[in-house]
Formats: sequence, structure tokens, C-alpha cells
Amino acid sequence: MTETAEPYVDAGHAVDQVSLTFVAGSAPPVARSVTYERILQARSEPHNWLTYYGAYDGQRYSPLEQINTGNVRRLTPAWVFQCGGTGLQAGATTYAFEAAPVVVDGVMYVTGWDGWCWALDARTGQELWRYKHAVPFDTSLCCGNVNRGVAVAKGKVFYVTQNAHVVALDAANGKPVWDKTYGDVRAGESATLAPLIVKDMVIVGSSGGEFGVRGHIDAFNLDTGEHVWRCYTVPKPGEPGSETWPKEGEAWARGGANCWITGTYDPELNLLYVGTGNPAPDFDGEVRPGDNLYTDSMVAVNPDNGQIRFHYQYNPHDVWDYDSISEHILFEMDGRKVMAHFDKNGYCFILDRTNGQLIRVFPFVDRITWGEIDASGKVTPKIYPDKEGEPVHFWPGPAGGKEWTHAAYSQKTGLLYVPVQDIGATATRRRREFKESIPYWGAGVQVDAEDIAGSVSAFDPRTGREVWRWRHEVPMCASVLATGGDLVFAGAPGGMFNAFNARTGELLWQFQCGSGHHSSPTTYSVGGRQYIAAPSGWGGWVEGFVPGMLGAPHGAALFVFALAE
Amino acid sequence: MTTGVEQQLAELGKQNGATLGRLLGNGNLGRAEEGPDGRMHATIRIQPDQLVWDPAVLVMPHGGDIELELINDDMNTHCALLPSNGDSQFIWLVNHSRGTATLNLDGPGYYWYSSPTGNDEGRGLTGAIVVMGEAPPEARLDRPPQPRP
Repeated sequence: MTETAEPYVDAGHAVDQVSLTFVAGSAPPVARSVTYERILQARSEPHNWLTYYGAYDGQRYSPLEQINTGNVRRLTPAWVFQCGGTGLQAGATTYAFEAAPVVVDGVMYVTGWDGWCWALDARTGQELWRYKHAVPFDTSLCCGNVNRGVAVAKGKVFYVTQNAHVVALDAANGKPVWDKTYGDVRAGESATLAPLIVKDMVIVGSSGGEFGVRGHIDAFNLDTGEHVWRCYTVPKPGEPGSETWPKEGEAWARGGANCWITGTYDPELNLLYVGTGNPAPDFDGEVRPGDNLYTDSMVAVNPDNGQIRFHYQYNPHDVWDYDSISEHILFEMDGRKVMAHFDKNGYCFILDRTNGQLIRVFPFVDRITWGEIDASGKVTPKIYPDKEGEPVHFWPGPAGGKEWTHAAYSQKTGLLYVPVQDIGATATRRRREFKESIPYWGAGVQVDAEDIAGSVSAFDPRTGREVWRWRHEVPMCASVLATGGDLVFAGAPGGMFNAFNARTGELLWQFQCGSGHHSSPTTYSVGGRQYIAAPSGWGGWVEGFVPGMLGAPHGAALFVFALAE
Repeated sequence: MTTGVEQQLAELGKQNGATLGRLLGNGNLGRAEEGPDGRMHATIRIQPDQLVWDPAVLVMPHGGDIELELINDDMNTHCALLPSNGDSQFIWLVNHSRGTATLNLDGPGYYWYSSPTGNDEGRGLTGAIVVMGEAPPEARLDRPPQPRP
């Protein structure tokens, strides 16, 4: 210590970093009038993107048609929001921009990695306010420092933090209203999904399936933050479904089934459809004989009490890491309430969403060698890690024929559009003892860096027929957006953001964003001008979905496009 | 049994010794004091010509609010960018200056902070705040206690 006779210079009190910017710190109070009733009718106000998927049905379809097949070639950047971080952050190399921007009456709310949440002027890109949650550097993150977006209602913006908090912010200034912890970081839990508003609740799920946790969905009162219910997606001994786990031991307690992607919701049936993740350990099934409910399943949950009404398991006794967390897209088909789900296992399932019964199942990726599923839904495994130390190669790899990034359904064409990953992997079973917070895979895994492919593919859900395919040299791993302009948008790992003719698959327009896409583009309009918002920032679990692009440039930019004026 | 790198190569714990700067994560450890109101307090100094926070590792017994006194005893100008829920906290610390900061941190876990000017961060002015404790009972999993490493 150096104590001199001279008094210290007064350095004052530390200030918010944002005060060293031109950020105003406030946004128009547009979110005050966003209610559950308004979200129910989200598609009736197409100038907004009110909720994660655009509407409860998960279609990722907007009726906006100002940008269409005839003029999309005139699409040009309107603005770019750059958001590179400062200082050391968790997942220093695995951070990625995975969000879906939500827009309410000219204000955009979007999250980044490492606890960032921003409000932006949706017309100009000007930052209006920011909130930065401090995320512990040592938080367990299986698949990168990522976050997929916000929910907005009643004057508040809701999002989750990597250390498993759900935070409610004042949508007018970004100041915290309430903050609740809903996961145990010492157990390896984290949180990455965008919350969903249902009635007076904000609904979230947990991440951490690679660490041997017990998955759960939680509901909080959106006004007060009071915890309303928790739904565990692995039953305890004695509960329905527990017969699918070993009677002896605690495999169920480490069983996984995390719900790390936002669910969809049918208000008429009052059912929330949530996909669950892989069982743990991912690849060593011998320590957990049985079907392992409700891993790799669709669970239909009553949002009033958090109880599972029915389920459909896509991968009984999964040993390939085939999470079934992906969205369930709700639509009507031949007068029937159905839903479509593209599973990691390479098959698309069309289910009756009133009861979970299978209507149709068909493959959507070329190479499927792990096993097969027949028309009745019977699953026959063929290749899987079985003997200790013996490598097995299978397609699709653990990132799946489609990863979490979302498909879309166009109300104009009646087609489903899916980002496809045709990539295999080698897994070698390596049993290990369970220890809380330590990765619990039960295998060594290497995903192929060569002999890979991808596509954006269009399917007719009525027949399972592939209508068109746009082929790409690497897997496509960003969400698809469908619009009333008969367009389909999808970003590529190499940074190109693409627009296709929704009826033919013809590539109509491209823009190089400089970093790969692993996010969910959205569309909206302000002052009669339609915009397309595409977060660009390569990262996350790249070693899982395209390890051949682990060296590709990182990025931290939100590109927003509009027709040239 | 091996010993720590600093014990094996003492010059890692100083400026322009084995390395150009000072290996991160080395330095003194200090503990925050907790007041009767639950708020925590600590003092962190920058030692002359050492480009290191002292303590380099500050331990908070649990999550919550902490008041920091930041003293730059060095004969150069530095600054501090500190983690806190809401926004990171920034303060300039000119030569022989004293300032304060208020942080709110959840924990458990640890957070890095630094002096983001020039390459103070690489030379050694990157420190850690460790927050002890457990997740609140209502957030924990309903399962039997599990073995930890």
C-alpha cells in the first residue's frame, strides 16, 4: 500500500456503462397495451411480431407482402445494430446471436448472449435502452453462451439469463421489475429459451440435459413474479411414466428431458405443446433401461396447473442425443387440428393435437442410418453406441436432421419449410460416474467435418411429399421465415441471408452478412414499410452442427432489410 | 504432488518477469465484510507498478449488493469495468485516486472484471469476484442429494 501525505483524487462513483453512450434510456410505452388477448390475435396485426414465433401457432408466418417475389431483388440493408461485447464472458468462443427479434408498434426487443437485452427503434436501429444481467463466467453451458429472445406483455419485457433467472423488465426503460431464480447452476442447469406468455403467466423451461439434471417447465405470474407451478418432465418413482425408468437407483433423477425451446399453444384446447430434450447420459442407455419418459417427447401441458395431459415420444430410449425440443407447428389440415414436428431423428411427424395420435410420419433428410420409423410410428433402432469403447457412425448426428432452429408453415402455400442438416457423427460409448455439474454424455463424440450437406426443403404435410429443395454444401442451421409475399427467408452458416420463392424454391436474393446465421429472422412494418430482421453471429454448438465451420468468423450484428426507397 | 505455477515459477507473479505481464488469476485473496443490513463491503487497490488488483480474487459470502472502495495507488491511470445486474459499472481511476462502486451479483459462480484501457487486462488488471452460496431452495431440483466432484 502506498499512503502518501497527499490526499487521494476523488474518482467519484462508478456509473452505468450505458451512460457512456448516446442511448436515451427510454422507449415509447408501446408494450403497455400488449395483453394476452392481443397475443391471441397476433396475426391480425402483421406490422408487429408480438411473440417468439410471431403467433401462438408457431408457424413463423407473416401475412406481410410488401416484399414479394417480384421485388425482393431490391431488398437492401436499412440498418445494422452491432453489439460486440466488452471484457471476459462465459463461453468466450461459443457465444452466438440466436434470438428472434420481437417488435411492438415500432419498438424492437431483442436479446444477445451473456445477459444482454435491448430495446431498439425498429425503424432506425437506434438503441433505446439496454439491460445487462451479470452472468457468472463459470456457468455450465452445454451449447454456448446464447439466448433466443423475449416475451412482451403488460408493459414488461421478460427473458431468461444463462444462470437460470427469469427477469421482468419495464419495457419503457429496461429497469428490472422482478427477478426469480428457477434453476440450480450448481446442478448444471442454465436457461436459454424465449419465454412464452399464456394468460397471466410467463412460461419458461430449463437447459442442462448434458449435465444429468431433471427437466422442468415453470410458470410465473407475469405481474408479480410469483411462482405458479412447475412441471417436471421426468416423473418421480410412483408417478405416471416412472415405470419407464429403472426401479432401482436414481437414473430418473438425472434423466434430462429439458425443455430449452419455447412451446406453442392452442387456446381453444387450452394446451401448451412443449418438446423435451434428450435423456442423460446421452449415449449410454444401459444405465437407464426403458423408454425413459418424457424424454424426446411432445408433452401437452395444461397451462392452468402444469399437468401433462398426453404425450407422444419420438425417440423411446434415445441413445443418439436426439432432443425433441423443436417446435410443434399448429395448423388445420382437412378440417383437423394437427401439428407438425421435425425431429432430430430425421423424421417429420404430423400429429392430431387434440390427442397426440400420429397421423403421418415421413423422412425429411436423405441419410438416416440410426434406425427407422414405419408408417405406424414403430421405432426400430439399428445403429447405436452399445459396446464400451466401440465406435459407431450414424446419420443424422446428435445435432439432428434439423436442430432447434425452426421450420415455418405458409398459410398461402400450405407447405412446411425446414432447414435441413445432412451430417453424421461417430460416438464411442464411454461410461462414466455421475457427478453433479460435470458433463454426463457417456460417450466420446466426433461429428463429421466432411461429406456433409444441407438444404431448405419444402414439404406438403398432406402427403409428406417433398415439393422443392434448395441444396447447400453445408447444413442449414438457422430458422426459416415464411411471408405473404410468397417468400421464404433462411440464413446460411457462411453468412449469406437468402430469399426463396416459396412455391418453387428458386433463390431470388442474397446478402452476405459476414458471419453465419444461427438465429430466427422475423418481419414487421413501421410507417407502412416492411422490414426483415436477421441476427447474424456464428457460434453456439458449432462442433455439433457444422464442425467443418468451427473456424468461421464470429459476429455480433442484427441486420434489418427493407426495399430500397 | 505438483505445486502451483507461481510457486514453481515465481516470476509469473510479477510484471516483466517470466512473462511480459502477470499471469491472470494470481494475486492476493480477500473476503468481503457483511454489514448488519446484509450489504457487503470491500476495498480493492491497484498496487504500484504491479498492474494487479489487490485482492485479485474477492470473495462474497453470498449474492447480493456490495459496496466497493477502489483505490489506485499506482502512478499511472487505470479504470475499472465491473459486473453488476442491470449494467456493467465503469469508473476512471487516475493516478493516486479513490472511488466507489455498487454492484449487485447473483452467484453462485465467479465474475471477471478489469481495467479496459490499453492492455491493462492482459498485463494483469483482470480480477475475479467469487460469489459463494447455493441456488435458492425453491429453484433447486426435486431429487435426492447427488454426488459432486
